[in-house]
Amino acid sequence: MNPPRLELRRASKTYQTNGQKLEALRDVSLVLEPGTITALVGRSGCGKTTLLNLAGAMDFPTSGEVLIDGRDTSSLREDELTALRRTRIGFVFQFFQLLPALSVLENVELPLLLAGSQKAREAARNRLEWVGLVDKVNSFPYQLSGGQMQRVAIARALAHSPEILIADEPTGNLDNASGEQVLALLSDAAGRFGATVLVATHSAEAAAIAHTRVQLRDGRIAAFERA
Amino acid sequence: MRQLQLFRTLILRPLRRDLLRTALTIISVALGVGVVIAIDLAGDAATGSFRSSLETLVGKTDLEIVANGGVDERWMAALTALPVNARFAPVIEMQGVLKPAGSVTVYGVDFVSQGPEARAATPLARDPNSAIVVSSGLAQRLGLKEGDHLPLTLSDRTQNFEVAGIADAKDAEFILLDIAEAQRALNQYGRLDRIDVFVSPHEDFSRVEREVRVTLPASYRLEKPGTRGEENQRMLRAFRWNLRVLSYISLVVGAFLIYNTISVSVVRRRAEIGVLRAVGASRRWVLRLFLGEALLFGLAGSLAGIAFGRVMAEGAVGLVAETVNSLYVSSRPAAVALDPSAVAAAIAAGVAVALFSALAPAREAMHVAPVEAMGRGAHEHHSRTHARRNLFWAALAAIIAVALSQARPIDDKPIAGYAATLLAVVAMALAAPAVVTGLAAGTRGASRALFGPEGLLAVRGLAASLARTSVVVGALATAIAMMASVGIMVGSFRETVIVWLDTQLRADLYVRPAAHAGAGEHPALSAEVPGLVSAIPGVESVDIFHALEFEYEGRRATLGAGNADIVRRYGRLRFLPGEDRDAILRSLAGRNRVIVSEPFANKHSVRVNDVLNLPLGDRLVKVTVAGIYFDYSSERGFVIFDRSTLLKYLPHLPATNLAVYVRPGADPASVRHAVEARLANYRVTVAPNRALRQNAVTIFDRTFAITYALEGVAIAVAMLGAANSLLAMVLDRRREFGLLRYLGAAPAQLRRMILLEAGFLGIAANLLGLALGFVLSLVLIYVINKQSFGWTIQFHPPFLLLAGASTLVWLTTVLAGIYPARAAARLNPIEVIHEE
Ligand SMILES: Nc1ncnc2c1ncn2[C@@H]1O[C@H](COP(=O)(O)OP(=O)(O)OP(=O)(O)O)[C@@H](O)[C@H]1O
Ligand SMILES: [Mg+2]
Repeated sequence: MNPPRLELRRASKTYQTNGQKLEALRDVSLVLEPGTITALVGRSGCGKTTLLNLAGAMDFPTSGEVLIDGRDTSSLREDELTALRRTRIGFVFQFFQLLPALSVLENVELPLLLAGSQKAREAARNRLEWVGLVDKVNSFPYQLSGGQMQRVAIARALAHSPEILIADEPTGNLDNASGEQVLALLSDAAGRFGATVLVATHSAEAAAIAHTRVQLRDGRIAAFERA
Repeated sequence: MRQLQLFRTLILRPLRRDLLRTALTIISVALGVGVVIAIDLAGDAATGSFRSSLETLVGKTDLEIVANGGVDERWMAALTALPVNARFAPVIEMQGVLKPAGSVTVYGVDFVSQGPEARAATPLARDPNSAIVVSSGLAQRLGLKEGDHLPLTLSDRTQNFEVAGIADAKDAEFILLDIAEAQRALNQYGRLDRIDVFVSPHEDFSRVEREVRVTLPASYRLEKPGTRGEENQRMLRAFRWNLRVLSYISLVVGAFLIYNTISVSVVRRRAEIGVLRAVGASRRWVLRLFLGEALLFGLAGSLAGIAFGRVMAEGAVGLVAETVNSLYVSSRPAAVALDPSAVAAAIAAGVAVALFSALAPAREAMHVAPVEAMGRGAHEHHSRTHARRNLFWAALAAIIAVALSQARPIDDKPIAGYAATLLAVVAMALAAPAVVTGLAAGTRGASRALFGPEGLLAVRGLAASLARTSVVVGALATAIAMMASVGIMVGSFRETVIVWLDTQLRADLYVRPAAHAGAGEHPALSAEVPGLVSAIPGVESVDIFHALEFEYEGRRATLGAGNADIVRRYGRLRFLPGEDRDAILRSLAGRNRVIVSEPFANKHSVRVNDVLNLPLGDRLVKVTVAGIYFDYSSERGFVIFDRSTLLKYLPHLPATNLAVYVRPGADPASVRHAVEARLANYRVTVAPNRALRQNAVTIFDRTFAITYALEGVAIAVAMLGAANSLLAMVLDRRREFGLLRYLGAAPAQLRRMILLEAGFLGIAANLLGLALGFVLSLVLIYVINKQSFGWTIQFHPPFLLLAGASTLVWLTTVLAGIYPARAAARLNPIEVIHEE
């Protein structure tokens, strides 16, 4: 049997600031499967972003392990991590994080270009079609609304068809209607592309679309519900 | 108080946090100010004081009697017989060579007069003809005492002199010789260089002046002491002006960097400024805040610049002195002294430049609206640059620059020419944004195809931060333009001189006294030397040349005389276009006709067929200008007679140089040996044609060494700027780099991207800089040089050198990107993506 796509085993993260220890995550264990959406909920400062960074292999636990396809992320070299991000992980941020100097199409192409893909343009167009923004390919980010920007960001996160999609409060800056569009896209990503979606959120609507809800409190899993 | 505290937290703290960039900015100001101070101090020291060191012994002279071709000593009798209470002292001044000490000033004075110069000579040595008096300063340095014997070379002979006395003249260094002996050494019997007049304090000065005036011929001049020094300073003025202007270029380059630093500071703190405005800070207050930051840079940089300048001056003084000596007048460099007025001027310049360049960004800060405090994405504020409107202003500046370059000099200085260059730089700076955007748009496809996503991101990133990019490009381009323009000017000049040397130096051998010291010195050859050389087998003809310093319309120039027929036969000299050389040279012999050099003609606005009134000896002589010839050996200018004419007016004039033409078929080397053997008893140098040419080129190159040094500093300042700006860019675009890591960029890709940006900056700067450089070189050659020095330089751009230099600058720009590139690759993506 294949190992689970993404797994946290008793992962803990401790920050050292000015000699003070801060335990942002404590003994978190989770298994995430393809085609599922997992929502991380909890108060501000409970450790959601920290967990996402561990899951996305941008950061590493101080104890315990994070496994992607059964491989411990802490054991990967820099170039292996880069390769992982290029092929298997996509990120969506609360503040969209589009590059203002690049057009919409170029923003979506970017991960493919960085990975050296040959069919970047075509793939990027497909994704923009999927998020319903083909008519904006040549626009620049400042010419878009917040909801449109976030859709571009989702198209970018999925441009290289990653198996893991990590979203940190993707609707945090959007109104209800735009938020719903974004959530629909996330559902689609799990349903149509079979991605493993991990989303941190404060919104009830977002939590509602998830297959699994994980409640964090002070860095620990306080509740775990399957829908 | 409140403002001071806020200044600390808003300005000083970020500066401290960004220590490297702060230091780079201060260093670039310091270098700019330092160079200005160094050139000023070195110029002062190198030109020295032209006060006669004899004054330390005999006291201040009240009047000096001088004449072109020397003062006839017969007038001494008439002067001493005047019923006035004044003392008249004959003086001959020359440069001698003392084995251990090198060149030293030698005064021929009257050892049997009543003056202090004579008293110093008692007790007289046993043989008064071989006695000298040494000044206390020189005696001390060389450890001389009375009774010592010294070999002293004067003109073309070395003689052993006995030290008959030590004259108390503080630390001045000179040698006194009896006047008769001096005349013998100079081969100038009956002639004096000047007569010093000391008027008794009880006597009416103007009466003495009147009496002396009516006694002497009209061609004689009565000068106030110091006139000569002032004349020298004036002669050097154009040279020092040009050097000074060159020294300001580093400061101009530095101005771009301050502008950049303050802009960065404003852009980064827009939200902060918005908050301040929202809580009640006034616009003026915000303006003052950022001008305060600039003031800080200006002051700190200037103060550090003083120390820099003092050190650099030591290095520069030798280079400047060399030029002064070979082109203008013999002077011995004085010690470098930190002149308070020069220091004050440099600090003022540094601070003014800092404030001026900060004005635009500080005003931008002033206009930040309080609502920007609410704007979350300060980073998404895209700078409004008005590329098109700037292009219009650029065109306007260029047009004015062209108009200014047509203007005449003001007070002998090419002021309008300088203004034109400055405006050309301004035009370039204004055109920079349009050029950068154009270039970015034009190369977008190519750089993406060549360098992949890094290429695309690099070009786009630069275009996105257009305001900053254009400033860096402007600074670099200014330095490159300066390098290119001066390089083209010097290269053209060098080529012109080499071509000119070809026509000028046609003889096989040149003979002159070994004691030759520098410009304005014309030691004499012994009377029998030309005859000795002519008689040597293998010598076809000898052109006997006489040179002496003279004064025309208040300016020093060189009067010369040679054999026009020989000059004509050997095809020497090139005249201005349209003039017939043969006819001109044929017309000189025996007639009151002269040829003048181009610088002389330009300085005195002389044209062919003009009549000059030349005071020669006791007479005023009218001569007609038969032709104007190209000359690049001295900007003082020449007036050249045929020997037959000049010797009629100045019969005692000794020969100073010989040009020896070898008979066709004879071996120049063996003729040279024969000449050397024949003149073994004389201290002369016999130089073959090739050596003289090489020497001329060597002097030329040494003359321009200082120019290259100044260019080097300007380039260094621009490099600091490039490093500084790239670093700022990395800091400002942290979030972007962090995001790229999230999107799968490898650290090496980020490094490559920054290096590509550096490379792109370098290319844009090179394009603009070389274009501007060509334009500036035209202004330098045809306006500034022509108006300052009076000679026409042929345009010969040294393409290979330029290509090499601009490649080197380009490579250095890329190198300047290495540290920022590493910094970008080392950023922690998690930290930077989440910070706001
Ligand atoms: N780099 C860091 N250094 C020190 N402490 C950190 C760092 N990053 C996060 N923390 C701390 O770790 C804890 C968890 O932070 P985290 O960002 O994961 O919270 P969060 O659940 O995402 O909150 P929010 O909903 O507000 O985004 C917080 O107390 C935070 O202060
Ligand atoms: Mg968070």
